[in-house]
Amino acid sequence: MSKKANSIITYIVLTVWSAIVLFPLWTLIINSFKPQKEIFKDPFGFPKNFTFDGYIEAWKNGRFDIYFINTLIVTTLSLILILWIGSMAAYALAKWKSPLSNFLYIFFIAGLMIPIRLGTIDLVRLIKALGLQDTIWSLIPIYVAMGMPIATFVLTAFIKELPEEMFEAARIDGASEWQIYSVVTVPLLRPALATVAIFNMIKIWNDFWFPLVFIRSEKARTVALGVSLLFGQYRTDWTRALAVLSLAAIPLLILYVLLSREFIKGLTAGAVKG
Amino acid sequence: MSQANDSQKRKAGVFDVKDRRQTTWIFFLLPALLVYLIFMAIPLFDSLRLSLYTGKGYTPTTFVGFQNYIDLFTNPLWRERFFGAVKNTTIFFMIHMLVQNTLGLLFANLLSPNFKGRELFRTIIFTPATLSVLVVGFLWTLILNPNWGAINKILISVGLKQFALPWLGREGLALPIISLTSAWQWVGMPTVMFLAGLMNVPEELLEAARIDGASEWEIFWKIKFPLLKPVVGIVSILTFVDNFNAFDVVYAMAGAKGEPGYSTDLLATLFYRTGIAGEHPVGIPNMGMGAAIAGVTFFILMAGVLLWLYLSRRGAEDV
Amino acid sequence: MQKKLFVLLSVLVLASMLLAACGSAPVATEAPAAPAATEAAPAATEAPAATAVPAQPDDKEVTLTLGSWRVDDVAAWEKIAAAFHAEYPNITLKFDPTNPPDYNAALRTQLETGTGPDLFFVRSFTVGRELFGAGYIASLKDLPGLTDAFSASAYAPWATDSGEPYAVPISAVSHGIYYNKELFAANGIEIPKTWEELMAASKKLLDAGVIPFANGTKDAWDINEVVMMQLIPSDIGGYEGRMAYLNGDRCFNSDEMVAAFQQIADLRPYVPSGFEATSYYDGQQLFAQGLAAMMFDGSWSINDFKRDSTDFEWGVFYPPALAGKDLYVTFHPDAAIGANAASANLDAAKTFLAWLETNEFSELLGNNIPGFFPMAKSAPALTDPIANDFMSFNNQAKGVDIRFVWEKLMEPPAGSVDAYTSLNNNVIAVLKGVETPKEAADAFNADVAAWYAPSAGCITK
Repeated sequence: MSKKANSIITYIVLTVWSAIVLFPLWTLIINSFKPQKEIFKDPFGFPKNFTFDGYIEAWKNGRFDIYFINTLIVTTLSLILILWIGSMAAYALAKWKSPLSNFLYIFFIAGLMIPIRLGTIDLVRLIKALGLQDTIWSLIPIYVAMGMPIATFVLTAFIKELPEEMFEAARIDGASEWQIYSVVTVPLLRPALATVAIFNMIKIWNDFWFPLVFIRSEKARTVALGVSLLFGQYRTDWTRALAVLSLAAIPLLILYVLLSREFIKGLTAGAVKG
Repeated sequence: MSQANDSQKRKAGVFDVKDRRQTTWIFFLLPALLVYLIFMAIPLFDSLRLSLYTGKGYTPTTFVGFQNYIDLFTNPLWRERFFGAVKNTTIFFMIHMLVQNTLGLLFANLLSPNFKGRELFRTIIFTPATLSVLVVGFLWTLILNPNWGAINKILISVGLKQFALPWLGREGLALPIISLTSAWQWVGMPTVMFLAGLMNVPEELLEAARIDGASEWEIFWKIKFPLLKPVVGIVSILTFVDNFNAFDVVYAMAGAKGEPGYSTDLLATLFYRTGIAGEHPVGIPNMGMGAAIAGVTFFILMAGVLLWLYLSRRGAEDV
Repeated sequence: MQKKLFVLLSVLVLASMLLAACGSAPVATEAPAAPAATEAAPAATEAPAATAVPAQPDDKEVTLTLGSWRVDDVAAWEKIAAAFHAEYPNITLKFDPTNPPDYNAALRTQLETGTGPDLFFVRSFTVGRELFGAGYIASLKDLPGLTDAFSASAYAPWATDSGEPYAVPISAVSHGIYYNKELFAANGIEIPKTWEELMAASKKLLDAGVIPFANGTKDAWDINEVVMMQLIPSDIGGYEGRMAYLNGDRCFNSDEMVAAFQQIADLRPYVPSGFEATSYYDGQQLFAQGLAAMMFDGSWSINDFKRDSTDFEWGVFYPPALAGKDLYVTFHPDAAIGANAASANLDAAKTFLAWLETNEFSELLGNNIPGFFPMAKSAPALTDPIANDFMSFNNQAKGVDIRFVWEKLMEPPAGSVDAYTSLNNNVIAVLKGVETPKEAADAFNADVAAWYAPSAGCITK
């Protein structure tokens, strides 16, 4: 097959898939600007009776400003903690050769397999004992704990791949483990950290189970919880429901478009490691 | 805190290693370990203990040993639901392996050479993965709606009325459709991971093969795929774990009961109904039985992961 | 990377604040009220802890939270709360609903961990009784006026077998068929007097290219609660008939039950072609668009129909009985309000509960949320015409009864299937044509007789 034929096939396949991806998203956005009846009569055309009602109602009923800021605080702090303590742990797990570290590695990645929802009741008691119920601070330690398995899994594997001579050289130069970790290892970990960050960001931003259990008052609601509550109220009003869903989806889409360049750059850096 | 100190001492005693950096390692591990223990491991372990108890609501107090597990496997009602859920979850997982990961491999392969628009396509393919599962489920429910959804409208307009089916309403049809929706959302994950893997394939190797007259097909199977094997392993195990915990997409598209007729009931929806929400309309959860369902799920996952670890170790020794 | 990530996140924080600023423009009119409400809430949650000694509750400012599954009725309950506050200025009521599917579980978690609302909606029969049995609901045996304001049958769904009440009944719901008057007129159809006439009318509509019934089975519960359990009383003879099943005098596969399943089979040609994937809300929309002429639904949907079905005249009628049978209507006790036994403001909570007995409350509820019928003996007449149509069914009927499975049939021992689930599964199987009415009734009987002691004699080999 000629190179040209190959690239034509590439374009066709990718364009078709892109259409399959974008079409539903397009219907989500355009339908959120249509009155209910038009959504059902003409679900896929451009809005004829353009309306902002869905968005106006959503902002009026739900304090999306509060929801967004809460979710951002929770997501950002959780991610920073996951990357920080996760990379420290991964460094030790990769470099400490002992039965205990093997055991701890297995222990950490075992968390990938268990639905944390099962521990909800115990967590409720714990959060209450800490006096954190009905605050966004109740979510952060849980998300950090939830993020540990994937962080240790990805980062440990990545550190193990790094050439051992590099670490030896640093040690011979008299660097402490803390210096080797923070000065030598972390910069090389960037692509893996980006992967861990993106994985966890998606999970944390969209989680609605723990907010549902821990949070009642409006001041502490996250986007996902706000959406699920408004969604229940609007389930017969698709204009509003779609506006709420769009409101929830768009910030993360923007963040993703901004981050995806970083993400891909990180991966390219990963390819030339060592 | 004191517990941690104790265990630290014990470790030092038990593992009389020459590694002088041991304290340093423990210092590195401690923050992660504490958070993980307190907010995940202990609550989860405690709920495994719950699977040995029975009682109404969230405080099962009567110790019953393994009775919950015995009921799960022998009582006709539980057995039917449980094995139904195991079967459905397995199908759900297999469809992801077949569709999501194959497409991911294909896309990664198409995207690995540099060409115009590559970055755009890559961004688009990953986009649905950034959306909430509820948003995706709801959107596709609209598109698949039998009365005014796009799919059926298009089918009818091109004269294929007989194929305009109630996609989410037929047993045997709903589960594959929901699985495909989920695969649509998550295909970006394997794509990105395979892409990362492909970037590690040395370009000289591919050039040499091309000069030798190898076709792209041969190059893929003979050079790229063997080098991608570790990534295939990681992608498979993540797909396995994620899909054996899947809940939101079925909840959004088929409800917590896995309609129609439990044909889309997954282990996680069964667990949710049994242990957390209770069955409509009474809604009294059986936390002990729920914990038992989660316990069995845990052992299934554990078996799968151990199998993978075994295979990947052996694979590593072969190389 | 981390630095860049952080920069990007900060950009997003700024962006969202900008969004918030833009968004606050349309909110502006509401703004003064909203922040006040949110600030009042935290203060209120602190308050009970501070006033550990409820010595003189009358002098203290108290905020009570009211948990509910009625997310649709926020506006109406705010009116009710305002009226109550006007009368008791030191008590503020905050309505705080949870989505219906999450309600039971969320409430239980809250009660379990001591974070439950002061007052909450209590489901009738099993669920409420179970919570009371666990000690989470305060007993109301001393609440003044309760047993005078309500008839025994009205509060029985929220009382123990010995008659100890634990919640004040607030509303019952009725059921019926919503119909499109214009489509009926265009096809020369009168409100049918018998089931046979209804089927003939459905045939006519189908031939005219109209979907006769908008009901589907995607959500499962509605075909059971608003279709099957609406038809059953006329088939079995209302309350007395139901008692015959509960006493074990009749088996659950009796001819009467087969007749009810037969009616589901009769409906099969007249539901939407994609009924398996048509949800409850899809059904309401099919009706609202004028694509379907009728829909079985509950009185609680009056407001939804009013909002969506604006292009044509519509009304309600009760599904008629089979020719030669008497009409019985399903009028179902739906909601009561109970007080959290652990509430720090139990006295204030009881003040509110006693207020629920007044005509003032009945009027506020019945007229602000049409379709929820106040249950007090002296409840004043309602103003909503559709709500009054629903009420008129009770007078046309020979008798009224609750939904068939609600009493006693939903508490099987672990590992057995309850009557609700069994009936639901078999109704869907008949509508899909997978089971005949006889097979469905036999399966229903086998499921229930397997554990319901009075029916032990009905177990067939």
